[in-house]
This record gives sequence, C-alpha cells and structure tokens, in this order.
Amino acid sequence: MVPYETAAAAPPIPIGNPPASSSSSSSTTIIPKPPEIDGLLAGAGYKVRSSDLRHVAQRLERLETAMLNSPSQQLSLLASDAVLYNPSDLSTWVDSLLSELNQSQSLPSLPSDLSDLMSNPTALDGSWMDQQLPPPTAAVHNQQPPQLTVVTAVEEDSGIRLVHMLMTCAEYVQRGELALAGSLIQDMQSLLTRVNTGCGIGKVAGYFIDALGRRVFAAGGGGGVPGGSAYENEILYHHFYEACPYLKFAHFTANQAILEAFDGHDCVHVVDFNLMHGLQWPALIQALALRPGGPPLLRLTGIGPPSPDGRDSLREIGLRLAELARSVNVRFAFRGVAAARLEDVKPWMLQVNPKEAVAVNSIMQLHKLLGPGSSGDPARPAPIDAVLGWIRSLNPKIMTVVEQESNHNQPAFLDRFTESLYYYSTMFDSLDACALQPEKALAEMYIQREICNVVSCEGSARLERHEPLANWRERLTRAGFRPLHLGSNAFKQASMLLTLFSAEGYCVEENEGCLTLGWHSRPLIAASAWHAVAETAAGAVSDVPVVGGVVL
Amino acid sequence: MPAASRNSIGGGRGFGINDDVDILTEVLKRLDGRSVCVAACVCRQWSSIARKDSVWEELCFRHVSPGVRPVVVALGGYKRLYMVCVRPLLKRMTLARPDEVQLSLSLFCVHYYETLAGSGPPSSLMFLCNPVNV
Repeated sequence: MVPYETAAAAPPIPIGNPPASSSSSSSTTIIPKPPEIDGLLAGAGYKVRSSDLRHVAQRLERLETAMLNSPSQQLSLLASDAVLYNPSDLSTWVDSLLSELNQSQSLPSLPSDLSDLMSNPTALDGSWMDQQLPPPTAAVHNQQPPQLTVVTAVEEDSGIRLVHMLMTCAEYVQRGELALAGSLIQDMQSLLTRVNTGCGIGKVAGYFIDALGRRVFAAGGGGGVPGGSAYENEILYHHFYEACPYLKFAHFTANQAILEAFDGHDCVHVVDFNLMHGLQWPALIQALALRPGGPPLLRLTGIGPPSPDGRDSLREIGLRLAELARSVNVRFAFRGVAAARLEDVKPWMLQVNPKEAVAVNSIMQLHKLLGPGSSGDPARPAPIDAVLGWIRSLNPKIMTVVEQESNHNQPAFLDRFTESLYYYSTMFDSLDACALQPEKALAEMYIQREICNVVSCEGSARLERHEPLANWRERLTRAGFRPLHLGSNAFKQASMLLTLFSAEGYCVEENEGCLTLGWHSRPLIAASAWHAVAETAAGAVSDVPVVGGVVL
Repeated sequence: MPAASRNSIGGGRGFGINDDVDILTEVLKRLDGRSVCVAACVCRQWSSIARKDSVWEELCFRHVSPGVRPVVVALGGYKRLYMVCVRPLLKRMTLARPDEVQLSLSLFCVHYYETLAGSGPPSSLMFLCNPVNV
C-alpha cells in the first residue's frame, strides 16, 4: 500500500492513491484520476467522488432553495464571514454552507466559485445533473416553508455529515495536522448533540469521535485508552458473549473441529490462548463425555494474564472446569500459564507430552502478535513468527484460529480508520437487535475498547491489529501450516445456533473450508482450522484433508 | 383421592388411575410440557409423579440413546434441562435430530458451568428467552 503523501491542496478523499497534483488547474486531464472521482466535474476543477454525486446534487438543490428563499439583504452577507478550507471539495462545503444557513440565520460568505456556479449553472455539466438528480426528496421539501426545509435536511443528513467529518479529521491526523483535527473534533462533538446518539450512525460516530479525541488530545501521544484491569475486561467479555453470537459461534465451531480431530485418541491436550472464564470448554467436555467409545483423558492448559491481587484466577477456573468434568466422568487435568503477553509464553511451560494429541485454540489472540514486539531488536524474529514457530514444534493435531474479518492493520492511518468505521458500524447494527440489558450496554463498552485501541494507539500499544482471512491464510501457510476444512457438521451447528438468536440478520457462510459469521452478508468473524505438516524434501503437501464428521 | 375415584368408577372393585403409579407415570410421560405442569396441580400424588425426571426425559429426547442420561443427570436433570433449554429451543427446532439434541446439551452444559461459579444467576441462556423476530 502506497503511503499517503502530503500533497499541497489534497482534498479529504479516503482512497489509496494520492490524487492528482493541483486541484483547480486545467492541466489535470493528463494525469490519470483515481476511478472514484467524477471525471466531468474534475474537468471543472471540483473533486467529487462518483458515489457522492447524488448526495451533492441534492444538497446543492437545497442550498439553492434556501438561498432563494432567504431575504435578499442577507444574501449579500454571504460574501463576508465563512471560511471554506477547500472549495474544490464540493460535498464538504455544500454541507457546511447548509448547516451554517440553518444555524445562525446569517448567511455565510459566498466564495467566488459559488457565485460563478450559481450564475452559470452550465459550469456543472448538465448531462450528469440530469442523470443523477433524484426528484422526490427535493420536491417534497420545497413544499415546506424554507427555513424548515433546511432544518429537516440537516437533521437527516447530520449522520452523513458526521461520517464526512470523521474522514476529514482522520485525514488531518494522518497528515499530522493535529490543530485542524482538534477543531474538527470539537465541531463534531457539537454536531453530535443534534444527532440521535442512541442508535445507528450517531452512536458509532460518538465512539469514533471519542477515540480520535484521545489520539489528538492525549499528552504524550497515542494513548489514553480506557485501560481496564483484567477483571474488568473479563466482565465486558462475558457480556459480549451473551449479547451477540460472535463468541458463541467461535467457541462452538472450534469445539466441533477439535472434537473431530480428537476422534480415536485417548490422551488429548488442549492449549487455550485466552482462558477468560473458560466458557468454551464445558461444551467440549460434555461432547467428549458422550462420544462413542467413551471420553479420553483431557488435559487443558489455559493461558491468561496474571491476576494483580494475588488471586489465582486461572486456577479457580481450572477447578470449576475440573468439577464439571468430574460430574460427567471425564478424566481431566488443568494447568494455568500466567503471561502478560502471548509472546512471553515458551513451549516448555505447556508441558506437552509427545504421545498426546494436541489442539491449539486461539480465539482472537493471534492478531495481537502482529505488532513490532517489545524488544525492538530487529535481529529477533517478529513475535508472530516466533509463536507460530513454537506452535508448529508442538506438532498439533489441529489449531483453531478465529479472527475478526477486517483489515485494521494497514500502514496508513486513514485506511485503518475507514475500514474500522465500516466494520464497527456493521457490528453495532447487529448489536442493536439485541434486547438484553445490561448485556448490550456492556457489550458496547467491550467493542468501544477495541475501537479506541485501533484508532488511538500506536506501536506496541496497538494490539488490535486485525487482518482478514486471506492474510491469515497466507501467513499460516508460510509458517508451515495446512488448512483443515471445517466440514458440514460445523456449518450445520453454526446455522442451528443462529436460529436461536432473535435477530434475523446474521448469516453463516462457508469460505474455502472456513466459516464466517456476518451481519447482512458482511462477514465479521472468521473461523478456520489448521494443522502442521512435516516438510517433505520438495516442501509441498498435496492433500487437504477434511476433518471427518462424528455425529453423536 | 384414591377412594373417591374407586367409587366413581363403579362401586366396589373398579380400577382407579391413581392405584398404579407406574401406569400413571407412563401416561404422564406422553404429555407435552404444559400438560405435565397442569397435571402437577391435580393432587399431591400426581404432583410427585410429575416431578419424576423420567417423565421429563421422555419430553426432552424421545428417541435418544440412553447413554445421554448420566450426563444430563449430572448437569441437573431432565426437568431442569427442559425448563432452561429444551422449551425455548422447541420454539425454533423440533429437537428430533441428534445434532439438535447435541446442541441443546452443549448449551445446557454451559449453563450448568455458570451455576458452579456461584456468582449470581446464570445468564448464558438468556438469549433464548427472546421471541423470534419474524
């Protein structure tokens, strides 16, 4: 990905390639434009994304109506006060003009561009206007009194404005213009008061504005994340587990794959990279208890953060799991490994017996290893490679990996910001359907912490470096793993699980042997299974084994 | 009351439904959940029979292998399984297939595990209480 270069008058358009050099010179036709910008308008010196054209046309119509309906002496005041940062960015200045018209009743200044525009409408190529204009909304609004027209328009579109402002602010942050970003944050906060922050775009925007604020206003750069104790995190995690199906899907899918991989083995060992309350394991213990041929000896090694107050929370969870295993007659042994970070764990701590079948279970943990690592020593391998290396040395029968399906680890801040805005908007949409309180509110706090980490942290503090399934496939294949297809039992179970949730928008999809759970066809979480293969002389493995189905 | 029913059938040596507990159990086993609960309100004898786990076992999994029983008993019994897990699930699936049975057992197991924690009422199955959004 090409890093975003600092261009002199670059408009805030969140695309990968830097835009053409100058905004209003007529020599831009030679330089190839990124496909999203409307070519016709660009010829007139305006940069508008093609996807925004309808929106901009609507707003221009409303602006025209508002101006025509305002008293003539106020129109002359248009020339005086407003400062428009970037006249070539049609959508932003139209939005800001409309909001100023609404806010103060004194019309902002009209830059010469706009007066030319109004007096010479053919500057906008008539053809696109005819094609793109949506008649209904403008017509309806024109029937109402003019001031009211502007008010309702702004209220409806405040959400869209917020999104635009968020993108602009992120772009300022990326360019290092923190003062501009800071003032925009304050504008957004005042706009937030006029928007419904209880749901929808208002709520998501609120969290992102907060995260940007932490980044911009933090003393000492990049921080101020609401850091919780491990105990708080566990509580939020638990409510996230209850409010929406993502974690349940992860647990049940991983368990099904592990169960099938353990078929025929009498000594099995599961290594859990993040034990939390151990909610994943009761179901596996019960399934092992009921498997034909009887349960194996099950060892569980749970990794988790050390408890600050001397409580051995890992051991407590282990005791509870042991009690459950005892009541269903499964021979069980537990071991806790306390480590602040996954890269601190060494394979000898897990005490793996060579005769047992090993399963490694990572639910949303591997992405935390994609950072620079705390040693800062370039000679040492990256944390992810080191950890994948020792996992491979354990020769696991199966490694289950569940990760967020989004790219929040791109080098450019704006790309990360944009992607996470869409991802978390979708996730909040899905959460809206949940009716359980206080689970829903606490689940939102859990997600909010992720957002803060993605947006406002950097370096080794930024742990939430989510990457999509395609990246993980490539990375794991390079590290010597081969995929295990999850099979139809896992798919059926996931579908059944979803029917139990009251919201109707969830969907399970199969993606080359992996399963993804999403909301309205946007995958949000992806589960996959892997095993390590011994390298042949040629280094190639031809078969992709399917994990066999065991139905109880 | 046994005496009353004997008289009502036809004086002297009739057979009353309450005489044979096993027959009564077999009859109650074939009812649906709500009817069993209604039956439990009839009299003390019916109430004690209606609380037998074997009645609820039939309700939960009519055609499942007996190996499941010790696990269910260990996790709290069939009546509890029905109340907490099977009844909400029956609104959305028939629980006739083994994989549906397996899913309900897994959910029940998580619920039991939460009760072991002893920190407040278990909540992992609360999502089942929501009506299905059509």
